[in-house]
Amino acid sequence: MSGMAISGLHLTQIGRENFLLEPSHSLDISGSDELLVEILQRLQEAKASTLYYDLAELPLIEPRYYRWLNMLARACRAVNVAMVCIRMQPTAAFALSSYMQGSPDFAVGQGVKQ
Amino acid sequence: MAKQTKNTSKILTELLKLQIGNISERIEREGQTVFGGSNLLESDEIADLSVQFLQLLVALLESKDPDDDASPQFHALEMFFNNLAKQILVRGGRIEDLVRYIQFVQHTLIDTLGEDQNTKVDDARAILLYLSSLFNELVLAVFQAYLSEKERTIWAQEAELRETSTPITEIWDGVLTLPIIGTLDSSRTMIVMEALLNRIASERAVAVVMDLTGVKNIDSQVSHHLIQMVRAIQLMGADAILTGIRPDIARALTSLNIDLGNVTTRATLSDGLKEAFRRMGIQISHKAA
Repeated sequence: MSGMAISGLHLTQIGRENFLLEPSHSLDISGSDELLVEILQRLQEAKASTLYYDLAELPLIEPRYYRWLNMLARACRAVNVAMVCIRMQPTAAFALSSYMQGSPDFAVGQGVKQ
Repeated sequence: MAKQTKNTSKILTELLKLQIGNISERIEREGQTVFGGSNLLESDEIADLSVQFLQLLVALLESKDPDDDASPQFHALEMFFNNLAKQILVRGGRIEDLVRYIQFVQHTLIDTLGEDQNTKVDDARAILLYLSSLFNELVLAVFQAYLSEKERTIWAQEAELRETSTPITEIWDGVLTLPIIGTLDSSRTMIVMEALLNRIASERAVAVVMDLTGVKNIDSQVSHHLIQMVRAIQLMGADAILTGIRPDIARALTSLNIDLGNVTTRATLSDGLKEAFRRMGIQISHKAA
């Protein structure tokens, strides 16, 4: 396993083609374009196939954050990387389900598939 | 409380000490009528009650400031009636009876004062005001106890209702079932979803079978809540399987333009469980003969 720090998040390679993204509380998604490019660059360099986005530390997902997750998922798909959001908290799932329309652009799971 | 002079509290204390036997006997007799007849309190308890009350009242009158409703002596008297109220309520008694008993105690003290020939009119007036103010506070303490007991009962009933309205069962490792009976309004949806999502997280459930056999009718709001529940389950990384959708419910969902395209449905709870097992790679077969 190897870890790479990008401002506000930690990207760890797990296995050969999988990456785990752990956002910290300081993650600033207002500069999402630059952040997105940086993440995709790392994923492409490592020939990643799946990006696991860990939501365990997020008690609430607000519309702005949901848009960021969808945008990242679509961008990942464009470079042939599947994004799976894992460990969503009950409070976050409850809040998100109340305002989301249709299906999200990312897949969901309970943890990293070995 | 109404202000009284040092003299009035002294007069009242002396009067109480002088007439303690008479007052205690009258209070006890009333206690036997109110609480003894309905077996709420034992005879010994009723006797203790009047003695304890008079002791606490004398302690208050002899305290540094009998008007101070923050004094330990006043608090002790307040707690005495607060506890008595709880005791009476727990044993099935009525709060009205206790309030009447307290009023009787007040009247007894006033009668005793009236029977005393030596008390001056001004002092008697001050004592009357003081007793009236004191007993008002005591009745309030009783009502506070009554309200807190009622709140506790309501809270316990609500908790029981919550428990029975969300019968979530882990029917297999990682498979939860939730039969929905009746109507899903907003508050019930909140309760069910909170319980369900927490169970998914704690049990790491991979499938939830929601059985709607008990849902008799569905409207726009209920169907919206249902879809919200399915979405939330899926967001937690579990599969949602809806079962037991009756023909009239299916027709109602269609006319409400509810798209169940992303939702797995099965006719019966049994079929729903089979589907959950299939997804988990679990095979159930009859035992070979």
